[in-house]
Amino acid sequence: MKSVMRRPFGLFIALLALPIWGASYEKVAEKKLFNGEVVKEYKLPNGLKVLLLSRSQAPVLTYQVWFDVGSLNEKTDQKLKKTGLAHLFEHMMFRGTKKYPDGKFDELTSRMGSDKQNATTYYYRTNYFESVPSYQLEKIMELESDRMANLILDGALLEKEKGAVVGELRRALDNPSRLAWDELMQLVFNEAPYRYTVLGTEEEIKGFTLEEAQYFYKTFYAPNNATIIVVGDVKEETLLPLVDKFYGSMKSQEIPKLNFKEEPPQKKERKWDGKHPQATSEILLLGYRIPSVNDAEITALSLLASHLSNGMEGRLRKALVDKGIAVSASAGVSHRPDLFEFSVALSEKHPAEEALKIIDREIALLHQSKIGKAAFERALNQELLSAYGSVDNNNSLANMLGEYLMISGNYMRGIEILEGYKKLSESDLQKAAKKYFTKENRSVVIVRPAKKGKTS
Amino acid sequence: MKALLFLLSISLVLNAASTEVEPRLLYEEDASGLVSDIQVVLKTGSSEDPIGKTGLTNILAELILRGTKKQDRQKFQSTIEKLGATLAVGVFHDRIIFSGTVIKENTFEFMKLLEEALLQPKFDETEFNSLKVEMVNQIAHIKNSNNRLGGLAIRQELFKGTPLEKPSIGTLSSVRGLQIVDIRRAYNNTFHKQNLLFAVASPFKETQWKTVLKEMWMKFPDGAQKTRRIFEPKVPEGLTLIVVHKPKTSTGVLTFAQKGITAQDPERFTLGVGNFSFGGEPLVSRLFRTIRGELGWTYAINSGYGSMGPLSYQPGIYTIASTPSVEFTTKTLFKTLSSWQDYMRNGLKKDELTLAQESLVNSYPFEFESAEKRLGQKIHSELYDVPVLSQEEYQKTLQAAGNKELKKALKDRHTEKGWVIALVADKDVIAPQLAEEQKGTAPEHQLKIYSVVMPTDLIK
Repeated sequence: MKSVMRRPFGLFIALLALPIWGASYEKVAEKKLFNGEVVKEYKLPNGLKVLLLSRSQAPVLTYQVWFDVGSLNEKTDQKLKKTGLAHLFEHMMFRGTKKYPDGKFDELTSRMGSDKQNATTYYYRTNYFESVPSYQLEKIMELESDRMANLILDGALLEKEKGAVVGELRRALDNPSRLAWDELMQLVFNEAPYRYTVLGTEEEIKGFTLEEAQYFYKTFYAPNNATIIVVGDVKEETLLPLVDKFYGSMKSQEIPKLNFKEEPPQKKERKWDGKHPQATSEILLLGYRIPSVNDAEITALSLLASHLSNGMEGRLRKALVDKGIAVSASAGVSHRPDLFEFSVALSEKHPAEEALKIIDREIALLHQSKIGKAAFERALNQELLSAYGSVDNNNSLANMLGEYLMISGNYMRGIEILEGYKKLSESDLQKAAKKYFTKENRSVVIVRPAKKGKTS
Repeated sequence: MKALLFLLSISLVLNAASTEVEPRLLYEEDASGLVSDIQVVLKTGSSEDPIGKTGLTNILAELILRGTKKQDRQKFQSTIEKLGATLAVGVFHDRIIFSGTVIKENTFEFMKLLEEALLQPKFDETEFNSLKVEMVNQIAHIKNSNNRLGGLAIRQELFKGTPLEKPSIGTLSSVRGLQIVDIRRAYNNTFHKQNLLFAVASPFKETQWKTVLKEMWMKFPDGAQKTRRIFEPKVPEGLTLIVVHKPKTSTGVLTFAQKGITAQDPERFTLGVGNFSFGGEPLVSRLFRTIRGELGWTYAINSGYGSMGPLSYQPGIYTIASTPSVEFTTKTLFKTLSSWQDYMRNGLKKDELTLAQESLVNSYPFEFESAEKRLGQKIHSELYDVPVLSQEEYQKTLQAAGNKELKKALKDRHTEKGWVIALVADKDVIAPQLAEEQKGTAPEHQLKIYSVVMPTDLIK
């Protein structure tokens, strides 16, 4: 068997910071991916960041706009102190400008052949994205920049959109896994606003005013709080003049700094045990506090997640699903909030405690001994396979760059973590497991069917 | 209210026994690719499961991945995953697809393992019993998914008495009743030369693949002639409302279904254009703009011909699905019905028609943006005998789909009221809501709940 660890992971970083072609934007850096492709980074005087990866395999491109604002900002903002508006506002971004009234954005992007057009909101960011034939670049930039600068917030449309958002919330509330996540966040975070849901409550959604939406727009949707990411069939000489044309005149503004009290270290195990009317079997969700994505130990923790979770030979699958105890079992690393999670959907008639005992046994094994060379190699190669798949697709590569930029300030952080796997040993994984997988550091959520569960 | 036509079951004889000396290979070279994607397609699927043994093909396919005569499951799967590869299987009513992805350095080592799995499966009794437990657990877990429950209720009504009545995964009783001897018999009937199709997207040359795959293919036995069976869904004369009782839901999962179309249907492009603007495309469709955009009753609403998979030889079903907030459930039901009636009678407005045509034509390049997608097009074309259209051909075809043609196609293929409607919600909330919504309507014209089923009834 050939080893893939020899694969070159060259990571070339050139800090250029040079204005180009006398234009008002400057190239900040060029960074090479492991497949030889280059991400170019630019910045406009108004603070707008632009990332470009040119590739010409097909005459299409992905265009994404990321705003460094999410539900954390609204909850900590002195004028709002609520959650749900960042998400409701994301919906309102499709509701029209003076030039393109309600419905026109969707109609025009659809007519131009957009694929995967959508938007999402999370704790720390909001993104808008579409893939279009590359000859439609100028039109999509005109539309995206227009709604970023000229959105008209209409009271009647806001009320209509609240109905759809309440529908989205209700759909989520019908899902027992969603309850497990919400309760885990409340259990882990006493101080940090991760304890509040991104969707907000029905009461909050229905109560938002037009003035609050206008305040949110004016405060957070500024070029110095945004990043444009383009991956696909376009060259910088085509893209940059258009960026200048559509975004160059936007004014930067002061963005309120996201400021909240850091969560103090956890000192003892926390538990929540409750019921959901729609659950027909139990759910177990564990969260271990871990450091931020920029910490060196994230590499070992990420590979531990692969060891536990990836493939048919993932430890959790073997210990829980193959034994008939669970329908699914997985582990993963989350950033912002920084958690290592174990998630188990139990089979009927199997209590969550049974899965918890088995996970404890698996963790004890990780504490006591190294995982072994073969298991290490398996975990590593499964991660590489997954990364190759992401890099190959315009949309997923743009997502990876954007997400890491928002969680770490460094869009190459995902690639660096992959690079870091090369330097890891089995001992590093054991060390990380010992340090973070302790009872004192974990929170346990159990969701039970309403008929059988204990009182929460 | 409900009268059903007889089920039509048509059998078509496929190609006579093959005299081929080469395997059929669909290939896409991806010179800069970091991985190889390999698909082995068996051209029969779960509709071959004998009556009472639904889930057999699914268990057979999964068991192929769980150990060979040379290596037990753990060793086999560890070796694959250490190579930086995944091997998975998907079972559909008319095909089984083994999909492998491997980092390119280890491509041909992976192929040896794939060959071993397909040609020398162990069918270990212990693994078989463990897999049955896993499948039974998964089937029981369907009760947690209101969308899937709605789909099962539809299947059971429209395809009653046919192999499509139950999902490919089977039911609790059918899976529990399977024996290892069933698996061996199904393997012998399925894994033979004439039933195989290979599809590859890879950085390596096609000639290399031809050699490797021919070597593998030659080791399979010749097989018996296959018969393709077509299962027509029933066509109810009127509305048939089935409530799947789930207490205390915040939303209702509402699914309308009636007979769909085949991949070979000459009107498929016309109906595709119509569906795009009626309900198929989120954000811009008529259903979305009115029921979500204007009324705010639901977060999601869409329609389409693909709820049982891509268009195939089976007509499948056409569905309209939404998840309204519970207080708007029956309002959404009646609004959807009136929208459908308007669509059936009047087709699309001019701007809706051009929107669908432009959008579909302009987004067509995305169907070919990667080697994997190009390969997917070729597989579909091969399996269902439909051409892959060039951009120009596609544009010309869609532009020929005018409103007159659409209205005729709708009239020929669909009915205004021949719907089976599955609603997953609390029956005690829905019944009074339904009565309230129909105040003033003569009792004989009122929509009534045809049956109430419990989630367990759908999977037992």
